[in-house]
Amino acid sequence: MIREGFQEALKLLLRLDEAVIDAATRSLWVSIVAVVFASALGIAIGLLLARKSFAGRSVIVVLFRVGMSIPTVLIGLLCYGLLSRRGALGEFELLYTTWAIVLGEFFLAVPIVVTLTHGAISRLDRRVFETARTLGAGAVQRSMTYLREARLAIMLAVLTAFSRCFTELGIAMMVGGNITGRTRTLTTATALETARGEFASGVAMSLILLTIALFVTLVMALLSRGTEEADL
Amino acid sequence: MKSSAESKTRPVITLSNLTVTKGGQIICQTNDATVARGSTVGITGPNGSGKSTLMRVLAGLETDYLGSCDIAFPLSDRVFVHQSPYLFDGTVLANVEYGLRAKAVSKPARRQLAQLWMKRFSIEHLAGRSVSSLSGGERRRTALARACVLEPELLLLDEPLADLDAAGADCVLAALHELSESTILISSPTPLAKELAPQLILLGQ
Repeated sequence: MIREGFQEALKLLLRLDEAVIDAATRSLWVSIVAVVFASALGIAIGLLLARKSFAGRSVIVVLFRVGMSIPTVLIGLLCYGLLSRRGALGEFELLYTTWAIVLGEFFLAVPIVVTLTHGAISRLDRRVFETARTLGAGAVQRSMTYLREARLAIMLAVLTAFSRCFTELGIAMMVGGNITGRTRTLTTATALETARGEFASGVAMSLILLTIALFVTLVMALLSRGTEEADL
Repeated sequence: MKSSAESKTRPVITLSNLTVTKGGQIICQTNDATVARGSTVGITGPNGSGKSTLMRVLAGLETDYLGSCDIAFPLSDRVFVHQSPYLFDGTVLANVEYGLRAKAVSKPARRQLAQLWMKRFSIEHLAGRSVSSLSGGERRRTALARACVLEPELLLLDEPLADLDAAGADCVLAALHELSESTILISSPTPLAKELAPQLILLGQ
């Protein structure tokens, strides 16, 4: 049955099945947009937490670490509450749109980017901070220097967040609603097709997910090797 | 109003019973000492005598100490070069220009100053090279050029002649002579030549 599924999946992929391509494109778009916004905010917060001392900083760091392991269905549930008619963002009528999934995946990605960026900056050699300071760099130049010195680890953080967003199911299912041609993503489509007994279609979706996830993992592995070499 | 002669002879650094402790152990202790403006002073002592710590105190990087350490220059006029200098990822030129960019020096002036100091440290041919491909001596001279190009009021050099061969050391000493206005403190495990640093601060005595 699995072999038949794979054969059917290959046929669907080779003839560029519209439903499969539509779900794949949407999955990519949603994950990329969510991760771009999450990176802009998360890198700034991570940098701030790594370099600024203030009361409660370690509590915030721990909270972001905890945030990395929040189940996606819980994030989906919270987003549902926010976006439903009586929710704080209900007036924008975003529920069951791709923007609802973007919002949920944004919440999923932010703790990952913050935690890994914080770790990357904190692990930098003490001389990086001291050299920038003693050469008279202002706050902006110093920040850019730290981000540049930790760029491989930060890129790794962004890719990890992308990988998590791209393969998540709970958020897309709860706030996207798995609507054909509108909010269906690779993961929700896989779940639906399998539940309907359309095993080949489900396997095709999974194959695309797997290919992209493997590609991201490969890039992450290469970057990890780069950061290890840079640490030497 | 004080005369300029008086302000020139007034010490710019005054140390009094300076003691730094870490984990209950004294890691640096100095006798009273003063440093005059524009002078070059050697800080010598055996390994572990606290030379680097004293440099860090003077650079404002170490603020937890007992005694007093009065320095006439603000932090923005003090430049410190680590015993093992850190070069930012990028080219030699980008590193030498780093502090000038911080001071918002225009690009043509920045380039001209950087080239002048790279020439003084004999690294002008390395300008476009990535710092990751430099030898220990080249890294040292790049870090020194990056600090000297700023012509700071107070230049703190922690063992600047380490990793250098005789020619490299001569090149560094000649370049330092160009900083006639700066007060320069040089740490070294062995006493420096009298003509280079007429005044010595001895640690670990």
